[in-house]
Amino acid sequence: MADVQETIQGILSELRRGTIIIGVLSQLAEAQYGYSLVTVLEEKGIAVDPGTLYPLLRRLEKQELLSSSWDTNEARPRKYYQLTSFGCEVYEGLCREWRALTASMKHIIGDEGG
Amino acid sequence: MEMIDRYIYAVIQRLPEGQREDIRKELRGLIEDMLEERLESGQPSAGDVEQVLLQLGSPARMAAKYRGRERYLIGPAYFDSYLSTLKVVIAATLLAMTVVFAIEIVVDKEPVVDQFAQYLVSLFTTAGQAFFWVTAGFALYEYSVHSKEGSPAAAQPEWSPRDLPPVPSQRERIKLSEPVAGIFFTIIFTVVFLFGSELIGVYLRHGEDSPLQLVSFISPGALDRFLPFIAILGALGVLKEIWKIIVRRRTAGLFAYHVIYSLLGLGFAAIMLQTPGFWNPDFLIQVQSTGLVTSGEALETIGTIWDTVTDNLIYFILIITLADIAAEGYKWWNIRKQR
Repeated sequence: MADVQETIQGILSELRRGTIIIGVLSQLAEAQYGYSLVTVLEEKGIAVDPGTLYPLLRRLEKQELLSSSWDTNEARPRKYYQLTSFGCEVYEGLCREWRALTASMKHIIGDEGG
Repeated sequence: MEMIDRYIYAVIQRLPEGQREDIRKELRGLIEDMLEERLESGQPSAGDVEQVLLQLGSPARMAAKYRGRERYLIGPAYFDSYLSTLKVVIAATLLAMTVVFAIEIVVDKEPVVDQFAQYLVSLFTTAGQAFFWVTAGFALYEYSVHSKEGSPAAAQPEWSPRDLPPVPSQRERIKLSEPVAGIFFTIIFTVVFLFGSELIGVYLRHGEDSPLQLVSFISPGALDRFLPFIAILGALGVLKEIWKIIVRRRTAGLFAYHVIYSLLGLGFAAIMLQTPGFWNPDFLIQVQSTGLVTSGEALETIGTIWDTVTDNLIYFILIITLADIAAEGYKWWNIRKQR
């Protein structure tokens, strides 16, 4: 018999995978480097594994949602990421979809759930 | 700190050249940031570094995340087909080589030790070849499938449910035993021609005690310059059977391959048989010298049979090939008609 908690965690991590992208996009109106993004998201209750976030940032850059630049003025060089105008548009579209999705889900499982 | 270098190196060496420098700098920054947060001040200990690297996960998984997909030489989709093909090919090769070796021991006068050494050497090289070609074939197939998936959506034809092939009827299905037997015989045939064409002949024994004497059909060395073609033909034949193992149904492509392959084999046989000196010119003399056939009349009969067979073998092969193509074509046509 599979463990209930374990199963929940497995499905939850699948659910989170897509929401992380929205979370990342939401914070990048202003340029940030990877680790500061981890901290900010964590403060807002969204835990992201840096090992997942860094490759994700590169992928989003490749998809032209983000642009990047190296800042070498500080003690250690850091790569800053920022939303492109295309990324901005996509983010707004995603927010609309997300609201529609949560509304539908609320309708299905009710306010209390279960 | 040296451990960090080792970690970063282990990650980036798995990634494309062009991205390495960038990812190296970024990863180093990340690890230093993570270390800084762990301890408010001071130098991180080896234990701290280890904890941070553990949090990031193994370099292989990290690199896979950067790449975006797993890489396979032969992916899970074809791995089973690959394994079963490899087993059949290796088993058939070993068996065929062993059979050739066993006959050579009986017939040849060379010391058994020498022959055994030769046998071992050719066993390893041939099994190595077999392994290489099967693996290379499947890897190429895997690569072609992947590069199709990777191409931009516009380049791919729109998928439509109408394109789904119908569930193959009983007649259309290819049982696994067919390609397996096909591979087996193709390899035995190829190996015999490659390594033991001089062993094809009649084996005569004059009385109980005298040694077994071999009279070859094909003159020694006659096949030497054809060996590369024989090997290629064998490889193409195995390829055909591998294709069957993968698709497991009679398709137009498979039928076309079969026809072309058969005609290729036929043409090759025609060229080979027409080459002067292909047949052992001393066949009759050698039969006579065994002392088994004494009467002139019997020898004459053997001579007539020998001439008839060597002159007409190509027509016999022609008829067999055409009959086989017709039979395959009939099966294929029947399947088409059912639709």
